[in-house]
Order: sequence, then structure tokens, then C-alpha cells
Amino acid sequence: MRTEAIDPPGVQWLRVSPKYVTVRLVEWAIGNLVMVAILSLPLVFVQLGWWRWPPLWLAIAVPAVMLVLALWRLVLIPRQVRAIGYAERDDDLLIRRGIFFQRTMVVPYGRMQYVDVSVGPVERGLGLCTLKLHTASAGTSAYLPGLPAGEGARLREQLSARGEARLAGL
Amino acid sequence: MSPDGSATVGLPAKADDGDWRRVHPASPFVRGWVALAAVGYFFGRDAFERMLQGRDILDPNLNGRVPWLLAGGGILLLLTVGGFILSWYFTRYQVAEGYVRVNTGFVFKQQRQARLDRVQAIDIVQPLLARIFGLAELKFEVADAGESAVRLAYLPLDQAKQLRATILARAAGVVSGPETPEAVPEAPEYVVLSVPPSRLIGSLLLSEQTVGILLGAVASIAISVYTENGAIFLALIPAVLGIGAAYWSSFNKGYNFTAAISPDGIRLRYGLLDTQAQTLPPGRIQALKVTQPPIWRIFGWYRMQVNVAGYGGAAGNENAARTTLLPVGMKPDVMRMLSLVLPDPGVEDPERVFTSGLEGLAGLGGVAGLGGGTPAGSGSAGSTSTDGFVTTPRRARLLAPLGWRRNGFLATRTALLIRSGRWWRTLVLVPHQRTQSMALQQGPLARRFGVADLVFHTTAGPVVPRLYQADVEQAVQLFDQQAARAREARKRQTSEQWLAEVSGQAPPQSLPQAPTQEDPQHG
Repeated sequence: MRTEAIDPPGVQWLRVSPKYVTVRLVEWAIGNLVMVAILSLPLVFVQLGWWRWPPLWLAIAVPAVMLVLALWRLVLIPRQVRAIGYAERDDDLLIRRGIFFQRTMVVPYGRMQYVDVSVGPVERGLGLCTLKLHTASAGTSAYLPGLPAGEGARLREQLSARGEARLAGL
Repeated sequence: MSPDGSATVGLPAKADDGDWRRVHPASPFVRGWVALAAVGYFFGRDAFERMLQGRDILDPNLNGRVPWLLAGGGILLLLTVGGFILSWYFTRYQVAEGYVRVNTGFVFKQQRQARLDRVQAIDIVQPLLARIFGLAELKFEVADAGESAVRLAYLPLDQAKQLRATILARAAGVVSGPETPEAVPEAPEYVVLSVPPSRLIGSLLLSEQTVGILLGAVASIAISVYTENGAIFLALIPAVLGIGAAYWSSFNKGYNFTAAISPDGIRLRYGLLDTQAQTLPPGRIQALKVTQPPIWRIFGWYRMQVNVAGYGGAAGNENAARTTLLPVGMKPDVMRMLSLVLPDPGVEDPERVFTSGLEGLAGLGGVAGLGGGTPAGSGSAGSTSTDGFVTTPRRARLLAPLGWRRNGFLATRTALLIRSGRWWRTLVLVPHQRTQSMALQQGPLARRFGVADLVFHTTAGPVVPRLYQADVEQAVQLFDQQAARAREARKRQTSEQWLAEVSGQAPPQSLPQAPTQEDPQHG
């Protein structure tokens, strides 16, 4: 995995499962296609002659722009999934994500209050899970999607054990 | 007070040290006076209106129904008062074995316990009515961003203070034996600073709020002149009332603000009609922010706000007052508060460092990364800036045309200082052992200029520490160093019981000097 400028040097990133692309595709389809379909309704009504107001160019332009944006997001999905990485260091967990807006995050084990593992319907079908770490700060939105179930369970146990060993107050 | 207390609520017999006690019998009436007033209003309104109109006090058509109405009113009153008495009877508290426990409710029972060594803050609140009766409410906060963990309303003021002293002493690890609460003396405190009312009024009049209001007033006058419509001012009456209420509330909350130091931590007292006394035990402040709006610069005023785990991030006037460490103060006041929050600043000349954090500005020549290729490391402070702050590289000045010389950070041995804002000057301070997690963030534009933002996650509150537009290499370096520093600081801080930790020293003796030690520096 390529190391970006904002990543700490010498970190070996672990990637999430490539199957997570499918999860993202389903989410994309539900979100974006429904949106485009709804925005296309005025075009249909105008074509049928029921509506007079939105001029034809506007009725075409709005869903067209949305469609282009949706396709753009679709193209990005595989790269976004590849950009998600995590690394277990001795005292903290590093999580990175993003291509355009990159974010590298460090969560010390001693700061973890609890660890969540959640599985959605699509994820279950693919044998994936999402790991979420909680610290005392609401700003820590540290989650790792698309982990294989076994790896998720291992990571959860590992993090809990390490967190217990290094537990500090607040 | 209640020898059979633990038996009635079916608790395991744990009440061996510290009895179960009840709150003051008058407290439900003080808390529920609105309900009583509502009952009174409902039945009294009609009669009162008649009286005003000069008719009979009782409706003549009502003759046959008077007994029924009276009976209904009586029953309602009886139910309310009975409910009050029952809720009083079933509310009990106990301080024992490192826990404070509160039992409430008689239909739906609730037992709550909070660990004493997890206390984040203790407040004693006195609303006006409670103050008239000499009562006070005790709020005990643990690290949970929601409501207060334990609220005891109401206790006689002396008892509330006594209980606070007991809880704080046990939380500090001073008292371990099964002593009665009465045995714990209240910790001595030394007033460090107070805010004179004139300065408070001045700060309110010169706040950002006032500027907004003036702009709004000018706009509405302009509109009314332009449209030749005077009625617009009628529509503004509710707004004016609201503004007046907001100012009054700020004044009421900020009046007579006094900060004091005691071995239990920092004490803040304030309030005109409703008074409040907060106690922040040492090391409970997660992050701190000093700000100076542009107008305040004329008078050299600053405002200080803190993040404390128990206070949470909920909006609202009360919480805004609770997270304010200093509503308005001069620079010496700020320095004094900083020395209380951070007794060991971790640098040789804290005065100079904090000053440059508050108002410092890097030289025009640009400091780090002038060449763009190899910026100086944050360790070599000489090449970064004369005041030690590492600022945004000159090449990113288009991203922050005003702030690039100001945005910067400085790590001392104990805390990280982040300054920002050319007009709205801000200095954020995060103690190393309080860092929860961090994230480096970089958008496409920032990548183009070779800078990155470093966001620090702390508990919910008004302070959101963020280092803006730091040189990428320096940001990554800080990211790594800060993780290491936080780790080291956490290892040093072993116990939540702040006095047990330093049992070798005698804090009550050393404390009186703390404010005076600072004084020579401020001249």
C-alpha cells in the first residue's frame, strides 16, 4: 500500500478486505440511484405534459449532474477502499483513510473505553464486519469497515487485551 | 437520620461506614414550587379576576358546585404534597466504601452509585429560592457527557459543603478509614482572583453579541427608513426582550466571579441571584482555551474556557457558565489561572511562552520551510521562530493570508500549546496526559501547499484543539512525538487519587504560596 505524505514513516499498513467494495457498491446504489430516480421525476412529468414549470433543460440538467456526480463517486469507491488502512503499533492503533481528504488517526490502547463489532446485512453475506473504537472523546470516530469476520474478532480481542493492560483514567 | 434505611430499600447491608441520609424535607417544595403555584393559579385565577372586576369573589352560578370544586382542589393539593413527601422519604444518599450512592423513587426505584475516585467535578448550586431557605444542591460529575451522575437537591448549605469536603477528601485518597463525614474538615482555600462587576458589564457590552445586535439594529433602521414603515419596530419587541434576557442571564451568571485554589482543586464561585460554586479537582481539565475577540484587545481582556469530562458538550446558558474558567480577565489573571491549571508548565519561562502564545506573531520573513523542500524540525526552535512556536510555512500564506504567522504550536514537557487567529486570538492548551486520540488531516488544497491539520480529540466541550496548516513533515513529527509524550505522561500519572499520588509532600502547606509565587512575575 502506498504511503502518503501525512503517514508516519516506517508504518506497515494492513488493508481491509477487497470485498468491502461490494458493500460500498450496494450503499452507493441505494443512495445515489434512488436520488437520481427521484430527481428524474420532473423530467418524466414534463415529458408527459403534466407539468409546465421546470423548463426542459433544467429538468434534464439536474438529474444529469447528479448522475455524473454519482458515477464519479462510483469510480472512486475501489480506490477509497484501498486507501483504508490500519496498523497495530506497540502502544496505539493507527487508522488511515481517504484519497482527496486524507486522515490518519492514532488511538492509544490505554484510551480505548470499549470496542464495538457490528455486522450489517450485506457485510454478513460477505463475511465482513465493522470495528468501532470508542474513547472518552466523541471526536474519535475511529471505525474500520470491511474487516474479515475472523480478523475483526482477533482485533477486538487483541485491542481489549492491550487496552486493559495499558488502561489509564481519562 | 434513617437507621432502618438500608433495610427498607432491600439493599445488602453495606452501610457500615457512612449512614444513609435524607435530603432536607423542604427540598421537594423548593424544587416543585412550580407545581404548587400551578395548582394555586388554576383555582385562584377565576376568583382573582372577579375580584379585579369588582364582582363577587365566587361565581354566583357556582353555588351548588363549590364543595365539589373545593374537594377537587383539596385532593389535588393533597396528592401533590403527598407526592412531595413520598419522594423526599424515598430519596436517600450514602457516602461509603469509595462510592456515593443515591436511591430515589417509590414506584420506579432507582439506585445510582458513582465511584468517588472518578469524580470530575463537584458543584454546589443555589437557585434563588433555595438560597432564601439556606439550601443548596450538590452535583457530582463523572466522565459521562450526559446529565450529572449524582444530584442531591437540596441539602442545608453547611451539610452540602461538608459532604463536598468528604467526597473530595475520599476521592483524593486522604481519608481511607471508616470515619464519619463530620470528621473531615473543609479544605482551606485561597482566593486567587475576582472579576469586578464593572469589567463584567464592560465585557458584555463589548462582546461579539453586541456587535451583532448593533448591526441588526442598523439594518432594521435602514429597512424601516427605506420602506417608510414604522411598524417594523413593533415586530422587534420580542427580539429586544430576548436580547435583554440574554444579557441579564450572562450578568446574573458572571456576577462576582471568584476563583480560589484549595488542595481539592480550583474553586469557582459566581452568580448574583442564583449562586454556584464549582470545584475542579487537579488534573480534571482536559483542554483549555484562552480567547480574545478583537474589541477586547483595546482593554487587554481575555476569556478562558475548559473541557471537563463531566460537564459535557450540551449547549445552553448554564453549561456555558460551567465551562467558563474566567469570563473576562486581564493578562495577569490569565497567567494566574494558567499556573493553577498547569502547576508545572514544563518550560523555564512560562510567562514569556504563554505571552507569545497569546499575542505572538512570527517574523515576516517566514520561518520554517522557506525553501519548501526541507523544513526545519520542530526540535530546532531557533530556526523556527524567536518565541519557540512553530508556525505555518511561508509558502502556505495564500491559504491563511492573515493567520499564517500566528498559527503555530509549541510543546512543553507537560502540555501542548496551539495558537491561532490573527483577529480572534486563541490559545489552546492540552496537557499531554489528557490527549485522547489524534488525527492528521489533509485536503487536496493543503496537499498542494504541503501543509496538514492536526486535530486533537478531547472530551466534549467548548474547546476543540486543532493545529491549522502546519508543515507536513513537522505535523507528522508532532503526531509521532505527541503520541509518545502522551504515553509517557500517562505512565507517570498512576493514580486517580491526586493526593495519594504525592503523599510525600504536604499539599496544604505548599499551596498558600502558589499564588504568591506567581506574583513577582506579574509585577
